[in-house]
Amino acid sequence: MDKMDQMRKGTTTLAILKLLIDAGEPMHGYQIARALEGRSQGSFQFKEGLIYPRLHQMEHDGLLRSEWEGERGSRRRKVYLPTADGKERLAEELKQWQSFILSMEHMLGLTG
Amino acid sequence: MTIADALLEIQLRLGLEAETEHEVLEEIRGHLEEAVAAAKARGLDEQQALSEAAAAFGMEQATAELRETHAGWGTLEGVAAAALPVTFALVLRWLIFAPGGTADAWRELLTRPTLTLIAAVAIAIPLLRFPRRRYALALWVFFWGLSLVTAVWPTIRW
Repeated sequence: MDKMDQMRKGTTTLAILKLLIDAGEPMHGYQIARALEGRSQGSFQFKEGLIYPRLHQMEHDGLLRSEWEGERGSRRRKVYLPTADGKERLAEELKQWQSFILSMEHMLGLTG
Repeated sequence: MTIADALLEIQLRLGLEAETEHEVLEEIRGHLEEAVAAAKARGLDEQQALSEAAAAFGMEQATAELRETHAGWGTLEGVAAAALPVTFALVLRWLIFAPGGTADAWRELLTRPTLTLIAAVAIAIPLLRFPRRRYALALWVFFWGLSLVTAVWPTIRW
């Protein structure tokens, strides 16, 4: 696994949780992939299909729950919502993320 | 190439338990349809739109990660779902309908291992990746039926 892959896997969970909580409404995989691409302004590109293993893992871990929109037998869409555990995880990870950035800035002498 | 062809290609590589695979493919179908519609809205023809959608999706890498992510989930859930009715049936037989009508004699059942063997096979069958909900339901019916038979005809020795 290369460095970009490791970084993607490590940060996608955080990015998906933040996106879904900010959106305040259920989103399906395609919407999530497009919105993440839009938010990163093209600087963080990954194959759209890679969103699904991450979404399924997050659902399995209890960070997201999913619902099918539409009737069985017709075209259906699986949409995802954050759970209470997901919201809690986001708060923790954002705190860690901000602390990490601050530490790096200090270490690199970027702070005034 | 059509969306159905792309899905078939993914299906051949996924190798998931049937129920999970159906849901994953339905989800990917929705994604590809959205991507194709968006590409066509930008003026691409059907084939160009599908090629672009497939390339952006990353069939090979996504399929490999999906397979890796789901590895063992269906099997574990199947074993867990199977274990409950099987355990109830065994407990009922071993403790309540022990030989001689007493729980003290339950050890005699070790010399009549048929039900225990059936139970072990029932728990192991999900390893073959049957659709887990239907399989668990069938097990409930089978083992509760067995429990009823044992209750109605306690003298049956097997």
